[in-house]
Amino acid sequence: MEDGLADFIISIIFICIAVSVPLIGIFGGRISEYQHFRSLVRREEESNDVIVTQLKSFPAANHSDQPPSIVYAETVIASDYLKTLLAKIRGIFGGEVRSFQKMQERSRRETLLRLIKSAREQGYNAICNVRLETADVGGGAMTPGKNAMPMACILGSATAYHASTSR
Amino acid sequence: MIVTNTETIVGHEITEICGLVQGNTVRAKNIGRDIMAGLKNVVGGELKGYTELLTESRRQAVERMLAQAEELGANAVVNVRFTTSAVTQGAAELYAYGTAVVVEPSNVG
Repeated sequence: MEDGLADFIISIIFICIAVSVPLIGIFGGRISEYQHFRSLVRREEESNDVIVTQLKSFPAANHSDQPPSIVYAETVIASDYLKTLLAKIRGIFGGEVRSFQKMQERSRRETLLRLIKSAREQGYNAICNVRLETADVGGGAMTPGKNAMPMACILGSATAYHASTSR
Repeated sequence: MIVTNTETIVGHEITEICGLVQGNTVRAKNIGRDIMAGLKNVVGGELKGYTELLTESRRQAVERMLAQAEELGANAVVNVRFTTSAVTQGAAELYAYGTAVVVEPSNVG
C-alpha cells in the first residue's frame, strides 16, 4: 500500500515536470521575445544619429586624424520551446515559418545595434559597408533529429568612419 | 594597422599592394556551454556562451591575418571578409581574409 502511494507521488511529480517545462518554455519565450523587441525599438531610436549604409564608398566622409576602422559584432539567439514546436507543425504542412523568421530578425537587428555601439564607443559617428551573414556554430542545422537546437547566429562587420552629419 | 572591409580608405591612398592575407581558426564549444544552450532552448533568448565563442574565434582569426600582413610589411588591410563553416557537430571554423596594402595619407580631403 505504501509502495503504491510512493509510486503515485513520484508519477505526479514527473507529470508536473513534464507539463511545467513546456509551460515555462511557452510563457518564458513569449515574454523574453516581447522584451527584446521593445529594447530593440528603444535602442534603434537612440542610435539614429549614426549614419548606417552598406555602400562601399564613404558617404559624407570628412577628413579626420582617426583613420577608418573595421567593427564586428555577433549574436546567437536560441529558439524557445513554442517556436520549435510551431516549426515542427509547419514542417508537416509547409509554408512560411514565422516563428523562426522573427528569431532571425531579432538576431540581425541586435547585431546591427552592436555594430553601431562598437563604432560609437571608438568615437566614430558613421558606419558603411554593413555585412550581415549567417553562421552555424554546430548546433542548429548540423544536429539531426531530436537533439537539434534551432538558433540564429549572425555575424556582422562594417567599417566605421567620421562623417559630417547634419543631424 | 588600418583594417577596413571597404575597398578603399577615405583620406588615404593605396600605394602598394602586398597580396592576400588570411587567418582561420576552428573552435569547439565546451560541454558546459552545450548544457546551457540546451536549457536556453526551452525559454529562448541569447546564447551568450556561443556569442562569446564567435567573438573569440573572430579575434583570433583576425590576429592571424594581421600577423601575416605585418610580415609582408603592410600598414593596412582592406576588403576584409569573413566566412564560417561548420566542420563537425560542435566545432565551427571562422576564416578571415583580406588584401594587405601599403597606404599613405592623401592631402586632398
